[in-house]
Amino acid sequence: MVGRGVAMAVIPRPLVDEMVAHSLEDLPNEACGVILAVDGVATAVHRVPNAAASPYRYVMDDEEQLKLQQRLDESKGEETLFAIYHSHVASEARPSQTDVNMAFWPPGDISGALMYPDAIYIVVSLAEEGAPVVQGFHIIAGDSYEACLEPVELHFE
Amino acid sequence: MPVQVHVTSVIQKVVDDQREFEADGGTIAELLVNIERRYPGFRKQIADDDGELHRFVNIYLNDEDIRYLGGTDTALSDGDAVSILPALAGG
Repeated sequence: MVGRGVAMAVIPRPLVDEMVAHSLEDLPNEACGVILAVDGVATAVHRVPNAAASPYRYVMDDEEQLKLQQRLDESKGEETLFAIYHSHVASEARPSQTDVNMAFWPPGDISGALMYPDAIYIVVSLAEEGAPVVQGFHIIAGDSYEACLEPVELHFE
Repeated sequence: MPVQVHVTSVIQKVVDDQREFEADGGTIAELLVNIERRYPGFRKQIADDDGELHRFVNIYLNDEDIRYLGGTDTALSDGDAVSILPALAGG
């Protein structure tokens, strides 16, 4: 496979602040949501309620997720899913094995198909109080957890 | 009972790359059987080996999650819209 090189992405600073604020507000549970883009440029953070309401996992609220999908469908490609974010309340800013597994379909099967191959998976780590860390990854087809993770250099502007 | 079925990209590939298509069924369960008949392999995308729907697959009837209706026994009417969407989830 030809590597993509180091991928990078620009995210407006207010969107980063919004993801961090959301993550802090939803403590002690994980927060989750998406960033949508217009013509490839990240434009808005959409908070999605975490139906699992848990510090260890997230499941995006079904109705909100449907609304977002319908919005993307109706935009006919103008608006796209730029990133999927969630918080880790006590672990590092890196997708967990579960995060990687659940990026594939059928769920949990890394030999399956990626659900959103173009989306950046962002993790907001709140492990260190007062110093949130935001990092992005592409989840790609691979034969192991490590092989499936490719860092995306995020530039906050 | 023809209904309009809408699927997301990851499921699209097993239904001839269609995002939307028409299918028949008196209930959600019948609809899924009929889709599998037409597109073998479809069922495997949304259910485990025992035929139980994956926990992380959301099926909506006219924008309402069928978990809050009658599950797969939910009755369908002519012209209904059914959406099938994998849940975004992780740990």
